[in-house]
Amino acid sequence: MTGTLILQSALAGITNGFVYALIGLGLAVVFRGTRIINAMQGEFALIGGMVAYVLLNRFGLPLSLAFLCGALAGGALGWLIELTLVRPTRKRGASEEGYLLLTLGIAFAISAGVLYFFGRDARILPGIGGEGSQILFDAAIRTHAIWLIVISGAVMLALRFFYTGTLIGLSMMAASIDEDGAATTGINVPRMRSLTFLLGGSVGGLAGVLVSPLITIQYEMGLLLTLKGFAAAILGGLTNPFGAVIGGLTLGIVESLAVLTVSSGYKDVIAMTILIVIMIVLPDGILGRRLRRGG
Amino acid sequence: MPVIARVHEANARLPLLKWAGALLVVALWAVLPALASRSVTDMLVFTALYSIAGLGVSFLLGQCGIVSLAQSVFYGVGAYSTAYCCVQLGWPSAAGLLVGIGISAVVAVAVGWPILRLSGYFLALATLALAIIGHVLFLEWDWLTGGTLGIGGIPPLSFMDYQLNSPQRFYYLVWPIAAALLWFHANLLRSRNGLAMRAMRDAPAAAAVLGVNIRILKVRMFVLSAVLGSLAGSLFAHYVSFVSVDSFGVDRAINFLLLAVLGGAKTIVGTVLGALFITIVPNALSRFGDIHAVLFAACLIAAVIFLPDGFGGAIARLTARMRAGDSRS
Repeated sequence: MTGTLILQSALAGITNGFVYALIGLGLAVVFRGTRIINAMQGEFALIGGMVAYVLLNRFGLPLSLAFLCGALAGGALGWLIELTLVRPTRKRGASEEGYLLLTLGIAFAISAGVLYFFGRDARILPGIGGEGSQILFDAAIRTHAIWLIVISGAVMLALRFFYTGTLIGLSMMAASIDEDGAATTGINVPRMRSLTFLLGGSVGGLAGVLVSPLITIQYEMGLLLTLKGFAAAILGGLTNPFGAVIGGLTLGIVESLAVLTVSSGYKDVIAMTILIVIMIVLPDGILGRRLRRGG
Repeated sequence: MPVIARVHEANARLPLLKWAGALLVVALWAVLPALASRSVTDMLVFTALYSIAGLGVSFLLGQCGIVSLAQSVFYGVGAYSTAYCCVQLGWPSAAGLLVGIGISAVVAVAVGWPILRLSGYFLALATLALAIIGHVLFLEWDWLTGGTLGIGGIPPLSFMDYQLNSPQRFYYLVWPIAAALLWFHANLLRSRNGLAMRAMRDAPAAAAVLGVNIRILKVRMFVLSAVLGSLAGSLFAHYVSFVSVDSFGVDRAINFLLLAVLGGAKTIVGTVLGALFITIVPNALSRFGDIHAVLFAACLIAAVIFLPDGFGGAIARLTARMRAGDSRS
């Protein structure tokens, strides 16, 4: 096993890690705003990727515009789902399991819908910077992967600022932490919940368009992506955006080293085992309780 | 006085109605295969198989508050044990069935002990992760499971040269088994353990103070659920005579949980209604073409929103209302 090989797989791991981090960020956004674990987060990515693909190939939109529309499509979907499905469920007083089943059901519906309208084919988008790649020491990394890392980092910082420095971000937090208190200070709590889903969906859609030049998009990809994003978010302590990135990177690197040393077939087994072990051993994430609430 | 007398009268009439109803159901059950087509009988066999596996999930969810998305793993363990023992080793059916149950119980203890301390979302996602691990292992261990090719040629169950090789014949085996297990669980519910379970579900701290060993009780129930899954898997393998990894995916695990929720996890009979739903509805919708998967998912969403305690819960509420109406009039 040469150093180059290890470096190469570490770079792949870092890239994957940022993808998981983006999904985890979206999950964390939804969880922060509504206390719901959103099992359709991976489906937002699926829709984002598919919309970008269609706009690019059927309508000939430029890449940047197609990417933007893909991310917004995820947001629009999230907002729509909150209004039409999550809100009625909340009115009927659902339990944690109820929400999980609801979002799982929606994830099924979206996945089945994509299968119906787009078929089983796996699709791939062109990346930012085309097929070009950069040489880092001896290993190669796609230019697009570098963009993915930069954009994910920017999203993380933006979310951090959003929740600590803007009125609307603080209102969202208030609406989820103390519903009645927030309502008395004049915050429109239901609207904050809708906005939460809009934001979570956009982050999910963005993850979808950024990942689809690297791995193919296909109707079945959602659930596993959701779970890995969840593993990343849990590793980081669920509500801390900074944590999701650390968690995603840990998961991505461990996964790619496992592929190198064990076998590629067991990649998902290792990721899922990590998820289970983390939940049992470190329920507050690797950053611990002290950093959990912050930012 | 007259009011009370009428209440007594209504109560006296009720058991009679109940017996008549039960008799009607049994009679209907007995003649159904003779009247229905082969494909309908086949569907009803699957209803019974899913009822058995789903009962494990439903009982965990409704009585212990444990969300399990891992039933596909035990269903798979049962099916592969039967397939491997009967085809590769040439053992009798009973051996395959027992090996499956044994392995499932051991796995359930080994996995249940650490993960059952989780609750809510965390537990649900941990079991979902288990389902994914199980699916990958079923695929990767192809020396044992045949991978994507699967294992074929599993002999049908037979009793003294009488082979249960048609849906009709299997129907008369699998439904009594399912009924016996439902009855067993209904009794379990009323036993001391059943009370302890519900106490644990509703007020864990209080139950612990009253001397319920929560950890052990949860693991025991998880093992029982796994055994049911494995049993259903073994029967499934004998019935279809071919098993492959496609039958034990995450979608199967989610289906088992959905049937429990749709049926209403707090009632025992609800499981059968849920199993009927997930076998009949997709089949009925399939004539709309490829869109049936979307329609099925839409049905599920509607059921989660409008029937939070499932068909069983809706029926229980309806009968309660009827009874209240009876005694008031």
